[in-house]
Amino acid sequence: MQQDLSGSLSREEQLALKNRRTGMAIFQISWIMVFVCLVMVNYLVRGNQVSWPPPGVAKPEAALPTLSTLVLIASGFLVRRATRAVREDRLPEFLSGWRWALALGGIFVIVMTYEWLAIPFSGQYSNMFRVMVGFHAVHALAIGVYMIQVQRGARAGVYHARHFWPVEAGASLWYFVIVAWILFYLVLYWL
Amino acid sequence: MATVSLPLGDAPSAPRPRLRVSDYLRWSVDHKIIGVQYMVTAFFFFIVGGALAMLIRWELLTPTMDVVANGSQYNTLFSVHGLVMIFLWIIPMMAGFGNYLVPLMLGAKDMAFPWLNAFAFWLIPPAGVLMIASWLVGPPEAGWTQYPPLSTLFSGDGQTLAALSVHLLGISSILGAINFIVTILNMRPEGMSIWQIPLFCWAILATSIIIVMATPFLAGALTLLILDRIAGTTFFDATRGGDVLLWQNVFWFYSHPAVYIMVLPGMGILSDVLSVHSRKPIFGYKMIALSSMAIAIVGFTVWAHHMFTSIQPELRIPFMITSMIIAVPTGIKIFSWLGTLWGGKIRFTTAMLFSLGFLSMFVIGGITGVMLAMVPFNIHVHDTYFVVAHLHFVLFGGAVFAIYSGVYHWFPKITGRMLDERWGRLHFVLTYIGFFFTFFPMHFAGMLGMPRRVAVYMPEFQGLNTVASLGSFVLGISTFILVYNAIASLRAGKLAGANPWRALTLEWATSSPPPATNFIGDPVLFDDPYGFGTPAASDYLNAIDRRFGAPEPGAPAAPRPAAPAAPQPAVGD
Repeated sequence: MQQDLSGSLSREEQLALKNRRTGMAIFQISWIMVFVCLVMVNYLVRGNQVSWPPPGVAKPEAALPTLSTLVLIASGFLVRRATRAVREDRLPEFLSGWRWALALGGIFVIVMTYEWLAIPFSGQYSNMFRVMVGFHAVHALAIGVYMIQVQRGARAGVYHARHFWPVEAGASLWYFVIVAWILFYLVLYWL
Repeated sequence: MATVSLPLGDAPSAPRPRLRVSDYLRWSVDHKIIGVQYMVTAFFFFIVGGALAMLIRWELLTPTMDVVANGSQYNTLFSVHGLVMIFLWIIPMMAGFGNYLVPLMLGAKDMAFPWLNAFAFWLIPPAGVLMIASWLVGPPEAGWTQYPPLSTLFSGDGQTLAALSVHLLGISSILGAINFIVTILNMRPEGMSIWQIPLFCWAILATSIIIVMATPFLAGALTLLILDRIAGTTFFDATRGGDVLLWQNVFWFYSHPAVYIMVLPGMGILSDVLSVHSRKPIFGYKMIALSSMAIAIVGFTVWAHHMFTSIQPELRIPFMITSMIIAVPTGIKIFSWLGTLWGGKIRFTTAMLFSLGFLSMFVIGGITGVMLAMVPFNIHVHDTYFVVAHLHFVLFGGAVFAIYSGVYHWFPKITGRMLDERWGRLHFVLTYIGFFFTFFPMHFAGMLGMPRRVAVYMPEFQGLNTVASLGSFVLGISTFILVYNAIASLRAGKLAGANPWRALTLEWATSSPPPATNFIGDPVLFDDPYGFGTPAASDYLNAIDRRFGAPEPGAPAAPRPAAPAAPQPAVGD
């Protein structure tokens, strides 16, 4: 959002890019509300229990999820660097950065899938946990698949300094996945 | 305050777009075609929902059960009626107006994301099919509010389909709203500040902000409901640690703002129609614009007034106060509209009549809303016909009257032909009378204690219900007058010219219907969209007539100055 609209783009292209960036920002603000909604549901569900987790239910270990959260955040930085690289026509750097980001994202999804499967059934607590982690994983997977498409496109040489919106869109969506996860991570493991 | 800027020059020989039915049946990214697709689809569902309403009122003619075989069938009738009317009629219809008008009003060629626009529309037909199909597989019976445990334990599989349908419609709504916000923020022509956009655009902007912030909550709630129904979770199952109030909180966090999603665009239509047809600048442009924003914000703080009988007692007073506060921006609008009318040269066109109908009926709905905000009164009439009366005064007396008003006002722009005013007046009179006698008696029935959502009732309510049912049949018939009028006018209505009502907003500064790119060359903007009554406005309007064509003689359009070629300022403008 903050980068200037470079002079190499025509007026129509600049307007299109501005529109897409505004649209993406509004989409991010909008769709994060579903995650906020689930957080609100989490707190309403907690309000009905004597304690949270309910008596006799163990809170899942935070160590592995914390690691995977760090991995996810790291992937965000890689995505950011890769996006900058493609805008400056440094395609090999983009490809390696993006590939590593995808790999880290994959690790995150695998770890969270394990966590999703590992939590023992305990009524409302495990329901809530699985819905939140699962809902987030669905988004991470869908956006991950889109990012793989971007990777394939980049290998075919589709993106360059004048045509990078699909890359930037993928990056924005991935940031969305990260922010949404940090929200859930705090609520699920710490708050 | 308006400077003269005339769309001078000869009319360029733009090919007049021909309206073919087949163009509307396939994928198109033209916002005008999509707008009409929205409107026609929505109107179809209005007829469907209306037919269900007729069955409901037929059943309620007598205190006994005579049309439906059992209570479940009756539950299905009002559930599908509510879902269809809200999610498949009013919301898409308003989106249709927005789609058709916003780019034109901003002098843009199209929406910011044409493809996304088409995609958002094409989510609606499958959602409609799902909604109808829900009837066939074990119908939904939980009302449009889909409260658990009614929607989890006592409804057929159709409830799941209905929830999926609403889910799709919510996504369609969000995508459309993103498009509107970006278009309004980024696509204005040079020289048009945000304080010069027509008030309809302000209303769509406020509506879209509500949609993008609130509809995700509906998505969240429906996801949980669907999981409870098909995946064995127990969020709403009180016997297994769940909580039915959870649904009410999340659902109303969306659905109260959704009331404003349904009525704010109508208020935008009203702001334009009242000003144009009373030939006066709108009174309090900024206050009307900002009050839309205020409604959008305050609308998020009132949801629990739907739950006064179920929330913790200490939360009632705060929500009562916020619910009363939200009447203030609405009141600002009402008084601004009255100020607009005051001293104007009012022409009682059908569009104007429906707008005045909105004013009168919506005020009743608004006042009963404030009454319902009062906790003691609310608890007395909770779940009675008073609530049914209130919500129909807001959604029919408000939203639908505004839609009708907009149809009569913009039909000439969309089709190039005028709707017949005599049929229009008959439509208005029957709608107004039918509407009033359908819903006004329900206030009394509710205060006397008649519960809503019942097929049988105490015999002492029969008088009121018979009046309501007879009124509703008049209302049902009145709809087909519009259908007939639209079809007849499409074939043989008077040619509208570019600007039959002599309005100053940009959608009128092009031919009717507009060419594929909306404007040939850059549109010429008049500085003040409501600056009626100045010589500059008169010159501008005469120039539009000269360049794009005046209405056919005898068309029910605004009177033209006697000698359009002479540069004399017309008294009528």
